[in-house]
Amino acid sequence: MKVLIIGGGKTLFFLSRNFTAKGYEVVIINRNHEECTRLARQLSASVVCGDGSDAVILKEAGAMGADAVLAITPNDQDNLVVCQLASLKFGVPRTVALANDPENAEVFEKMGVSAFTTTNIIGSLIEQHASLEQITNLLPVAQGRVNVTEIVLDVHSPVSGKLIKDIKLPENSLIAVMLRDNQPIVPRGANVLLPGDRIVLITLPENHGQVIKAFTGEYK
Amino acid sequence: MKNNRYIVIVGCGRLGSILANQLSREGNLVVVIDMDDATFNNLSPDFSGFRLQGDATRMPVLKEAKVHKANVFIATTHEDNVNLMAAQVARKIFKVPHVLARVFDPKREEVYAQLGIETICPTSVAADMFFRAVTNRATSHNGECK
Amino acid sequence: MKQKSILIVDDEKNIRLTLSQTLESLNIPVQVAVNGEEALRKLQDGTFCLVLLDLRMPGMDGMEVLRWIKDEWPQIRVIIITAHGTINSAVEAMKLGAVDFIQKPFTPGEIRELATLVLEREELDGVSAVDYGALIELSKRFISDRDFATARETIRKAISADPSHPEAYNLLGALFEIKGDWLEAQKFYRAALDIDPTFKPAGTNLERATSWNKFGKIDFGTDTSDSSAKVSNLKDQDEK
Repeated sequence: MKVLIIGGGKTLFFLSRNFTAKGYEVVIINRNHEECTRLARQLSASVVCGDGSDAVILKEAGAMGADAVLAITPNDQDNLVVCQLASLKFGVPRTVALANDPENAEVFEKMGVSAFTTTNIIGSLIEQHASLEQITNLLPVAQGRVNVTEIVLDVHSPVSGKLIKDIKLPENSLIAVMLRDNQPIVPRGANVLLPGDRIVLITLPENHGQVIKAFTGEYK
Repeated sequence: MKNNRYIVIVGCGRLGSILANQLSREGNLVVVIDMDDATFNNLSPDFSGFRLQGDATRMPVLKEAKVHKANVFIATTHEDNVNLMAAQVARKIFKVPHVLARVFDPKREEVYAQLGIETICPTSVAADMFFRAVTNRATSHNGECK
Repeated sequence: MKQKSILIVDDEKNIRLTLSQTLESLNIPVQVAVNGEEALRKLQDGTFCLVLLDLRMPGMDGMEVLRWIKDEWPQIRVIIITAHGTINSAVEAMKLGAVDFIQKPFTPGEIRELATLVLEREELDGVSAVDYGALIELSKRFISDRDFATARETIRKAISADPSHPEAYNLLGALFEIKGDWLEAQKFYRAALDIDPTFKPAGTNLERATSWNKFGKIDFGTDTSDSSAKVSNLKDQDEK
C-alpha cells in the first residue's frame, strides 16, 4: 500500500509514523524546506519538498502508482485541488481531503472528493469527556451524523439493575450491544443491565446528550 | 439586457479591479469579493457595484454575495487553488451559468477543463502571444531578405 | 396630473447610481437624495409613490426618515435597504408601516421585481384578491397603511387559501409581535418552522421572540407594573 500525504504539523507526523509502522510506503509532500529535512530525518518515509497541488511535484512523489492520497494542509482550497489532481490526472483510487472549515466537508463531497472534518469530532469529544469519564470511546459515522458510543455502567447509573424494556430512550437511539465479562450480548427487552456492563450505543447528535444522561444520571 | 447582468468577481487586485470597473461602467451590477478591503481602493470612483470583504472559499461569504443569482462568476485572485475552488462551487452548487477562473499553472488548467470550468491561463496566453510575435517577425524578416 | 416619482435615499454614491440605473427601465421618474435631510426636502416639493431608503446613514438615520414619511405622507410606500446580515429592526420598521426589505448586495432583477410588486399592490382590493399570492400582497398593503387588524385577517384568509407557505405564518407571527402578543407570535413562528424547519426568518424571529420573552419574565419578577404597562402600550399603537 502506497500513501501520499500532503501537509505538515503534528497530525502529519503521527499519521506518517502510524502508516510506516503498518508497513505502508509513505510519501510526504510539504512546502517548507526545514520541515521537510526534519521529517526526512525522523521518519522512514520519503519526503518531497514542494507544492502538492503542482502536477510536477505529485508526479515526482509517485502519484501515478499511489493507492491513496491524503490532503491535510490548513488550506481547504489546496486540499481540494490536490485530491482532484490526484484522482483526475493520476488516477489515484482513494483521495481524502481535510475540510478545515466544517461547512466545506459537504462542499467537497459535492465536488466528488471524500472529506473529513475534525472540528465536530473533537468538539463533541471534549464536550462529552469533560463531564463524563465513563465514556470510553466515541466514533462518529457519516461525518458525525451518527455517533457510536461505548460507556461503562457504574453503581450510580440510573439504569443499573433495570430491564432494558423499562429504560426510556429518546427516539432514534439504540443499545447496539452489551459486553459483560467480555462476552458480547445482543440485547433484548428481558436483559438486565448491571454495573460494570459495557454498552455500545447508537445515537444522533440531537439526542446524544439525552441518551448519555439516561445512562449516567447527573454524574460528576 | 446584455449589459444588465449580475456579476460576481473574486479578487480585487489588478485584474479583478480592471474587470470590475469596466463591467460596471457597461451597466452591469458587479459584486467584488476580496479578503483585503484595502484592495477596494483599486476600484474607480464611478464603480457602481458592491464591495464585500471575505474569503471566497467559504460558503457564508458566497451566500452573502448572492452567487446563486449571478449570471457570471469570475475568479481572479493570485492563488490558483482559491480560484479553482470558488469557481467549482459557483458552477456546481450555485449553478451559475457562466463561470471563469484565472489559473496560472497550465497543467492544472487541463484538468479543470475536463470538469467544465472555463479557465484562462495567463501563462499560456502570454506564451502564445510571444510565440506569434517571434514567428511573425521571423517571416517578415525573411521576406525582407528576399 | 403629474406622474409620481421614485425617491432613492442613500449616502453611498454606488448604491444611488446602481438603483437609478436599474429602475430606469420601469419608466417612472427617479430622483435621489444623499441623506435624510435632503430626502425630506425633496418629499415636500414633489409627489412620490415609492421611497427606497437606506437604514444606515450618517445624520438623520433611515428609521427617523421612515417615521417622518409615515406621519406626513402615509400613502407613500417604502422599501428598506439593509446592509449585510440580518435586519434587527424589521419588526420596528413594520410597526411604522414598512414591510419590504432588500439586502445588499442586490441583483437588478431583484430590485425591479420588488419595486413593481410594491407598486402593483395598490391596485388590489378585498374582492378580487382570492388566491394566496394576491391575499399576501393585499395584507402587506394593509401593513403599509398600518391597518394591522385587517392585515391579520387578510393573512388568515391567505393561509386558508393555501396553508403550505411558511412565509404567511411568519408574517402573521410578526404582526402578533407588533401587537405585543408574544405567545401568539411564537405559535405562528413555530407553525412556520413546522412546515419548513430550514425557513430561516421564522427561526430568527422565534429566537428573538423567546429571548425577549425571557427578558420580559425577568422584568416581571422585579417590577410587575412596568412590564405590563409596556405591553398595553404596544397594543394601543397597534389598533390606532
